[in-house]
Amino acid sequence: MSPAVVSARSLSKWYGQVIGLNDVTLDIPSGVVGLLGPNGAGKSTFMKLVTGQLKPSQGSVEVFGRPIWGDPRAYARMGYCPDQDAFYERMTGLEWVTALTRLYGMDDAAAGQAATRALDTVGLSEVASRKIGAYSKGMRQRVKLAQAIANDPDLLLLDEPLAGMDPPNRRRTIGLIKTWARMGKTVVVSSHILQEIEMMTSTILLINNGRILAEGDVHQIRDLIDEHPHKVSITASDTRRVARSLVEDPHVLSLNFDGNRLVVETDQPDTFYTRLTALAAQGEVGTIDEVTSPDDNLQAVFEYLVKQ
Amino acid sequence: MTEARAPQPSPRPPDDTVGLRGDSRPKFLASSIRVLELTLGEMLWSRRTVFMLLVVGGPVLIACLLRLLASLDLTPFGGDGGGSQPRVTGPAIFGLMVWGFYLRFTVPVLGVFYGTSLIANEVEDKTITYLFTRPVSRGAVLVGKYLGYLVCTSVVVLPSVTVVYFVIVPVLGGGVGENFPTFVTDLGLLVLGLAVYGALFAFVGAWFKHPLLTGLIFVFGWEPATMLIPGYMKSFTVSYYLQGLVPHAMPQEGAMSLIRSLVQAFQTPTSVWSNLAWLVVIWLSALVMAVWAVEHREYVLEQ
Repeated sequence: MSPAVVSARSLSKWYGQVIGLNDVTLDIPSGVVGLLGPNGAGKSTFMKLVTGQLKPSQGSVEVFGRPIWGDPRAYARMGYCPDQDAFYERMTGLEWVTALTRLYGMDDAAAGQAATRALDTVGLSEVASRKIGAYSKGMRQRVKLAQAIANDPDLLLLDEPLAGMDPPNRRRTIGLIKTWARMGKTVVVSSHILQEIEMMTSTILLINNGRILAEGDVHQIRDLIDEHPHKVSITASDTRRVARSLVEDPHVLSLNFDGNRLVVETDQPDTFYTRLTALAAQGEVGTIDEVTSPDDNLQAVFEYLVKQ
Repeated sequence: MTEARAPQPSPRPPDDTVGLRGDSRPKFLASSIRVLELTLGEMLWSRRTVFMLLVVGGPVLIACLLRLLASLDLTPFGGDGGGSQPRVTGPAIFGLMVWGFYLRFTVPVLGVFYGTSLIANEVEDKTITYLFTRPVSRGAVLVGKYLGYLVCTSVVVLPSVTVVYFVIVPVLGGGVGENFPTFVTDLGLLVLGLAVYGALFAFVGAWFKHPLLTGLIFVFGWEPATMLIPGYMKSFTVSYYLQGLVPHAMPQEGAMSLIRSLVQAFQTPTSVWSNLAWLVVIWLSALVMAVWAVEHREYVLEQ
């Protein structure tokens, strides 16, 4: 077994009276690890502790065998894509990634090349000379990813990297993450959507209320989720036609209209998604614009797990 | 859609020690300069620069007004002071403006507003993450931002003083050429003031919970108040040492005597070198403490 790249021992973090992370002990080896939990579960707190932005209130966290807090050396081998949508808006994508890459000690030419390569990797070559302020949400996500990978890190920490990306770029990013893992790198990806994590890795850490509830194979978690009623929200040109097509299906437990959205409850999400894809392909129900899985699915599963 | 391409594989095994790539990290000053280059544009084109232009625009407007009044023979400073020379000369007015508008107001105010927000701005904008997750020390980030502050404020304040100099000094018998060395000293003094106040408030920004309020109290409360207290209290201000370096001879009589007495309240019997040495001590101490505070402080971004 490969040695742990990230090690946490009794790691806790609290903000005044609020517990952000509670007594977490784990080892993260190389490969992709999915950090799965609902919003507010402690995913970002964990990421910030691992990236040395926060000081542990109790316990320790080591990256590459050294405590990360107060020691910037490990950042030379680390890339971090934060969840917040924050940039130097007046800079172009290329200027911004180049300037950040120079902080790794590269000269101008090397940093420029590394930045160009990173922007190309995330598919932003064509807009590299455009100001970040003019980027779409998906482009902003990808330029954040570019600054994280420009130094070719051994450890990548990606906090909700797929948020706001369109389906082609989601696929592209998931492909990249898998490629990095095959190259022997360690990638920690956080998300509140199981399906996203599932596409990248089978190794997950389930986190809720600041605690790691479970770690291991995603399929075991999947089984639990499959047993649990699952909500899917659908935006379509004609949600009533979609509802009419689904109402007779045995795996559909309930249908509800929420404004212009149709919320379906199912006990077999995989079967349901297959059925929905087929419906969309046939075109008999008009266009299906968006399919989302609300965060409360995961929250419900966590509540279910805690009760077990 | 183009196929996703992966970056080149790293030749290092994943369990390699930290040191290898750590050796290529830029040194402290090199890191600071890179941070300066990264953040200068954002600082220069921020809303604070508009505020700064308003602050330094005031003395320029007043100088132009005085010049206009002088050209119309309406200046309150003119007249015969018993001889053929006017009582208040252009260089003396310029000296008063340097002291009153710039050293006692513009420089500390810019120091407070910029110095206290060097890191706070990045925290507020949530861009601090990108700087604090690079292999450079947090202290180098602070120093880079501090250098950015010095560049930003200098490129706005010094041209303003230069304009005031060329507008005011020729009025009422002053010579631009003969006063030029004093003018250059003034520019140096302003940069020194910006450096010292900036470092002091960078520390305040890194250490105190309400840095802006603390800074304003220091500039508009503590510094003027200590002038009224006899004894050594005024030596705990920056303005005390700065005033000791002001090269201008103040007006000797007439309407300016009140201002002169106020100026003299700040003046010290200590030597120029002593004042300079104290300012350097304050500057370096404040900067070192600011670096230490940033290195040890935890910045929690609001979600």
